[in-house]
Amino acid sequence: MLQVQKVSSRAAARRLRQAGSAQVTRWQQQRGLATPSDPYDAIIIGGGPGGYVAAIKAAQHGLKTACIEKRGSLGGTCLNVGCIPSKAMLNNSHIYHQTQHDTKRRGIDVGNVSLNLPVMLKAKEDAVTGLTKGIEVLFKQNKVDYIKGTASFVSPTKVAVKLNDGGETEVEAKNIIIATGSEVAPFPGGAIEIDEEQIVSSTGALSLKEVPEKMVVIGGGIIGLEMGSVWSRLGAQVTVVEFLGGIGGAGIDEEIAKQFQRSLSKQGLKFMLNTKVVSAEKKDGKVYIKTESAKGGKEETLEANVVLVAVGRRPYTEGLNIEAAGVELDNKGRVVIDDQFNTSVQGIKCIGDVTFGPMLAHKAEEEGIAAVEYIAKGHGHVNYHAIPSVVYTHPEVAWVGKTEQELKAAGVKYKVGKFPFAANSRAKTNLDTEGTVKFLTEAETDRVLGVHIMGPNAGEMIAEGVLAVEYGASAEDIARTCHAHPTLSEAFKEAAMAAYDKPIHF
Amino acid sequence: MLPTLRLANARKPLIRFIGKRQWPSKPEEQHPHPFAPPELKQHFADFLKKFQSSSATSSSSATAKNGSATGPVYEEFWQAPARYRKRELEEWEIDLVQSGGASVH
Repeated sequence: MLQVQKVSSRAAARRLRQAGSAQVTRWQQQRGLATPSDPYDAIIIGGGPGGYVAAIKAAQHGLKTACIEKRGSLGGTCLNVGCIPSKAMLNNSHIYHQTQHDTKRRGIDVGNVSLNLPVMLKAKEDAVTGLTKGIEVLFKQNKVDYIKGTASFVSPTKVAVKLNDGGETEVEAKNIIIATGSEVAPFPGGAIEIDEEQIVSSTGALSLKEVPEKMVVIGGGIIGLEMGSVWSRLGAQVTVVEFLGGIGGAGIDEEIAKQFQRSLSKQGLKFMLNTKVVSAEKKDGKVYIKTESAKGGKEETLEANVVLVAVGRRPYTEGLNIEAAGVELDNKGRVVIDDQFNTSVQGIKCIGDVTFGPMLAHKAEEEGIAAVEYIAKGHGHVNYHAIPSVVYTHPEVAWVGKTEQELKAAGVKYKVGKFPFAANSRAKTNLDTEGTVKFLTEAETDRVLGVHIMGPNAGEMIAEGVLAVEYGASAEDIARTCHAHPTLSEAFKEAAMAAYDKPIHF
Repeated sequence: MLPTLRLANARKPLIRFIGKRQWPSKPEEQHPHPFAPPELKQHFADFLKKFQSSSATSSSSATAKNGSATGPVYEEFWQAPARYRKRELEEWEIDLVQSGGASVH
């Protein structure tokens, strides 16, 4: 040690760098800091959007990190059977539908247009494979150990892994993050059993081998509306049955939900609101769905070739042996956490769908980064007031912050600013003018409390609204910010103008 | 208009940027998760009690308190895992350092 100090001058270090590479490499290898049997600094159970992001961030913070995933491919529900494949189907079915019905008025005469469903499904698969493999590359780049297998707790710091390729191993860590996600919720009461052929979940709905003549979607939330749109565009007669009085799921502004329903109805989707599904019976190659009014009475039977059950998702902890770690669950099976993602056991954190909050991939990603920052630095940041939601239909619907009904219920004095895409130059040139941008601002301060958009590219445009909410912007701040002309984003600016003053073009 | 008057009338944006990030020196206090059900929020003290009495050997909170990116800080070097301890240099390594690398040429 003393000798090293004596010669550690700059000149000696320079000469040392110039020394024979073979010998220096040998030295470095011998001075390796860890062996594979050493405990990890962080183990992440689950390689979905929350888990893989947490793993990469942990490695970036210098933590020796492993990610355990049993699916055989990274990305979780989102990449494999959720957000990504559904967007591939939504995009391609939209092009098909537009080519069939919306080219003549644009001066494009198209000959016979036909659907090649196997190729469309393969394009979806290619997108999924490319992205999941991409995460493996990111793991390698960031030196995250990817363990393919099923994890189960042995103790609060030790996890047994049943490897996908056979055999078992045990890994240990100072910090463990549970990011096991969610699974499709079964139909309440078990009255309808999903077979993924005729009665499908969102997973089966992404891989139907042929376009059903008639499709019934149980649940008018985001997943039901997106998948209903896909198969409607490809030729199915789609009926959406929803227990509640409106579509779009939790958090959608009621005024926007009504506009949205009108838009989808024009596209051919049928809606049965305030309607309860009682049972589904398979008979002669068809499914017969019994419904009744949510308030009781008025029974009806619907006939379908395929039924999509889209009544939500539930937290997934199966096989995790969470009891061995002593981690507390609530009565809905969610892992109980505090605002720093700590479970009831020190050293074990939890993020994403398996715990509290909306089941959204981007929410899980934010939590993954914050949880790691709490481990590494003692501080993290997730603003739950600024988590956007998007429905990727056409037109798209997107929102962030408070709805008008929430502000009314809370007794907040607010202003509304709206601007229709029909008055936006770019939407006009695109012949795509359906929808509105709606701002909700605090009356006294002009601070943006919520932004709700239905219209072309709403999913991209909402990012500006999220930024406004995150930084506490006023409508005037946005209105006085220059937006390029001609763009759809001018509708956003004009809605902000409408909230604090008056718009120019409407 | 006088410059001072112009300044007084200038619009002040509501938007506030946080500026340069600085981690506070003390760890944050634990609070209920914003989306936790009301009954859990009401009984958060029970959660904290469970958390504090849990027996994980090296906790994330310990890491947080120490502000270390690589795990807990040990009071004595012998308490640290073997991989953190210094290894005796071998003769050839000492020669290499002493010679300033000349011995390899």
